[in-house]
Amino acid sequence: MDISSIQAQEERDGVRLSWNVWPSSRLEATRIVIPIGALYTPLKPIGNPPPLIYDPIRCNGCGALLNPYCQVDYRTKLWTCPFCLGRNHFPPHYAENITETNLPAELIPQFTTVEYELQARGAGPPVFLFVLDTCLPESELDSLKDSIQQTLNLLPENALVGLITFGAHVLVHEIGFGECHKSVAFRGAKDYTTQRVQELLNVSGAARGGQGAAQPQGQQQQAAGGREPAIGRYLMTVGDCSFTVESILEDLQKDPWPVPGDQRSARCTGAALAVAVGLLEASAPRQGARVMLFVGGPSTVGPGMVVDKARSEDMRSHQDIVKGNCPHLKAATKFYGGLADRASANGHVVDCFACSLDQVGLHEMRTLIDKTGGVSILGDSFTQSVFKESLRRVFRRHAADAPGPNAGALVMGFGATLEIITSREFKIAGAIGPCASLKKGKSPYVADTEIGQGGTNAWTIGGIDPTTTVAVYFEITNAGNQPMPAHKRRYAQFITQYQHANGRYRLRSTTLCGAWQPDPNDSAPVARSFDQEAAAVLMARVAVHRTETEEVPDILRWVDRSLIRLCAKFADYRKDDPSSFRLPHEFAVYPQFVFNLRRSQFLQLFNSSPDEASYYRMVLTRENASNSLVMIQPTLMSYSFQAPPQPAMLDASSVRPDVILLLDTFFYVIVFHGETIAAWRDQGYQDHEEHVHFKNLLHQPLEDANAIMDARFPVPRYIIADQHKSEARFLICKLNPSVTHNSTDIHAGQVIPTDDVSLKVFMEHLMKLSVES
Amino acid sequence: MWLFDWVFNVLANLGASAGSAKILFLGLDNAGKTTLLHMLKENRVQIHQPTLHPNQDELIIGNIRFKTFDLGGHETARRLWKDYFTTVDGVVYMVDALDRGRFPEAKRELDYLLTCDELAAVPFLVLGNKIDAHSAASEDDLRYALGLFETFGKDTARRNNDDDNKIRPIELFMCSVIRKMGYADGFRWLAQFF
Repeated sequence: MDISSIQAQEERDGVRLSWNVWPSSRLEATRIVIPIGALYTPLKPIGNPPPLIYDPIRCNGCGALLNPYCQVDYRTKLWTCPFCLGRNHFPPHYAENITETNLPAELIPQFTTVEYELQARGAGPPVFLFVLDTCLPESELDSLKDSIQQTLNLLPENALVGLITFGAHVLVHEIGFGECHKSVAFRGAKDYTTQRVQELLNVSGAARGGQGAAQPQGQQQQAAGGREPAIGRYLMTVGDCSFTVESILEDLQKDPWPVPGDQRSARCTGAALAVAVGLLEASAPRQGARVMLFVGGPSTVGPGMVVDKARSEDMRSHQDIVKGNCPHLKAATKFYGGLADRASANGHVVDCFACSLDQVGLHEMRTLIDKTGGVSILGDSFTQSVFKESLRRVFRRHAADAPGPNAGALVMGFGATLEIITSREFKIAGAIGPCASLKKGKSPYVADTEIGQGGTNAWTIGGIDPTTTVAVYFEITNAGNQPMPAHKRRYAQFITQYQHANGRYRLRSTTLCGAWQPDPNDSAPVARSFDQEAAAVLMARVAVHRTETEEVPDILRWVDRSLIRLCAKFADYRKDDPSSFRLPHEFAVYPQFVFNLRRSQFLQLFNSSPDEASYYRMVLTRENASNSLVMIQPTLMSYSFQAPPQPAMLDASSVRPDVILLLDTFFYVIVFHGETIAAWRDQGYQDHEEHVHFKNLLHQPLEDANAIMDARFPVPRYIIADQHKSEARFLICKLNPSVTHNSTDIHAGQVIPTDDVSLKVFMEHLMKLSVES
Repeated sequence: MWLFDWVFNVLANLGASAGSAKILFLGLDNAGKTTLLHMLKENRVQIHQPTLHPNQDELIIGNIRFKTFDLGGHETARRLWKDYFTTVDGVVYMVDALDRGRFPEAKRELDYLLTCDELAAVPFLVLGNKIDAHSAASEDDLRYALGLFETFGKDTARRNNDDDNKIRPIELFMCSVIRKMGYADGFRWLAQFF
């Protein structure tokens, strides 16, 4: 399988597999080292026509959806399910029209991925509940208020909004009350159940379907419980309340609670989230909704606090976590985990925009964001574009001229679930990604071994966007007693249901068909089908998942051992002769990916806080293959007078005084000027007409950097630095240290002060260990 | 590595009286704070990207625990320094001796720290780093640039002399972290105040 067909499959179905031809027995599968897995991007934009405006046909036996791999008998109007081999009758409206030349879209061979807009009742418009930290310096608070006000203009007109602010206490603002600002206060030190939130806000727990249904239901509830619906009071359509919300924001002050010098601000992030989740449970169950948390410091009071108010207690570090030396960690993680279950059961999403110079407790809140499919931003300040522009991009919309019902709608989806069914010879070991197990338990599709969230073939994803990607791991269960027939194919179907931002339910189905390698003595076809990029990402996800339960040095050893075993199996070499070692080109770059993964912020904790580590890991386990690969191994472009812009080796030798480099690590983008370039620039050559080439040379990387940043979420940090200057370290620390302060030939490139091993030394060790008998 | 062992032994003495010594690593960005900490912890040179969040680390030798706080040095991160002043036992202030253009900035920040009430009684170890490079400033140059003409004295045998308690404990040592030179003397000097 060559690269173009791998790319074609990704374009068509949003799937990348580590192996595209599978060994046909369990035993053979254990020998190929890298797990058989798929990176699946359920909402990847595909070039197909607009969604099908009808419900899918399901197999009576196993529930699989009708797809192009089904065998169709046009005479008897029957179709055969490739998963359970059951025969199904077409429903009358299909049977009347179907012929070899007149097929419904879902049977057309190239439409292995199709999306349906389900005909059941819609869920209603999305709800956005803004939860604002007010324990911020004035400048931060002003900038945050400004961003929220701008956000109101980005919402669709029928969207509902709500506003909660918190400091030492939680205030739920009654935005439906126009005459003056009115709010209900909750104590920050308490955990509030849904019932208590409903009581205190005096709102009914009415289930609200479509908008039309709201009125009569609300009245009934009012009669029964003496309470009023939350909608109209705490939640309002944006068109009706934007004036009130804007004026509340304008008058919003820094939290008035006094803060002595040896104390942190009293901040009840946990209680605020509990109230927010409770309010949505009561007012918008099973309806797309986001709790958007904006926080600028650690939670210090009440449930979910991560550190004491007194500064004499320090924020937890990696060491504290390893040693169990953090008094609040367990309780906080449990608290946010409980909120996560409540929110995801209702299809509600919790986002966290953390902007602070210090940690805010993202480490503890990680499950809440991950399980609900929320987005998170870790920035220095609410004034930076990392925050401001990222927030704007949460509300991206489909192009107004997009085909069908997508046109102009918000890109985000809600309440997504993913279900996978497989043909008999293999099962599902688990999934790693922004998802939570639906605990389907034992079924014909579930393997005994677990990788990630196992023991199920269905997961909730919650909030979902076009790059949300789940890694799914398979186990081959075929015992291999009898050789598999040569024509045998394997099938897997991914079924994703979600709420579109327009309130309708959607279902996307992707059906994969692939080959087995029937001959256990010939692994060459399997080797040729290796997708080293997908494999690196799938392995990185396993490694990152294991950091939750294991210590990093153990994981690094496992990563190393896997690489050595892989090379020992698939490289060409004579035993005990390292110089004879050759890797086939399908594997050629893989060791380098592993080298960079080992050095990355995902597996190196020095100089990184628990919040940072959690953030990077969280982003890695939700992004698609190409973005993840950039995180593992950054891309480097080189610009000079000698050659047109070209990709450069991620190596110290690529740094020369007369080049400009552009490094993209996904989280930041840096434009680096070599010494000579920087000197010319400082002398202003670019302003002279005769040096217009120099001007263009300076300009090109900036343009390319902008192109990268425009297309990315979260918006990366942008750095421009000169060689030998402080910020140049953002580039230097990512390079292979082929030249160090101990090198004799210091003119070979940038000197990198490190004792870390270079790629060359790493490869030498790998060759030596791989060929050992 | 005898020098390294020696540093650890010195650090072991640091907290002997207090039980646990809290040391802040401060200084402008790119001074070498994180590199020094990594060296003390792992005895290896490593390059790091500029520090974002303050990082707390522990150096454990024998049965004694040390808490170090490595704070980011870039301009915005400096706003955070004051949050860490409570219950500090010592400050290690690093200066990049190569970057003469930023000496005034380094002096300004050092002066700010030295005039802070919370830190009035706290010993300051000032380290002039990167003297492995031939263009680095000399100790005298750096003293001049930072205004450190009169300092405590590098003598470490004076801890019991009552007169010295009136003098602010601050001293400059030149070092090269990547060549494992100089900072051990500095820590030996700092140790006498615990």
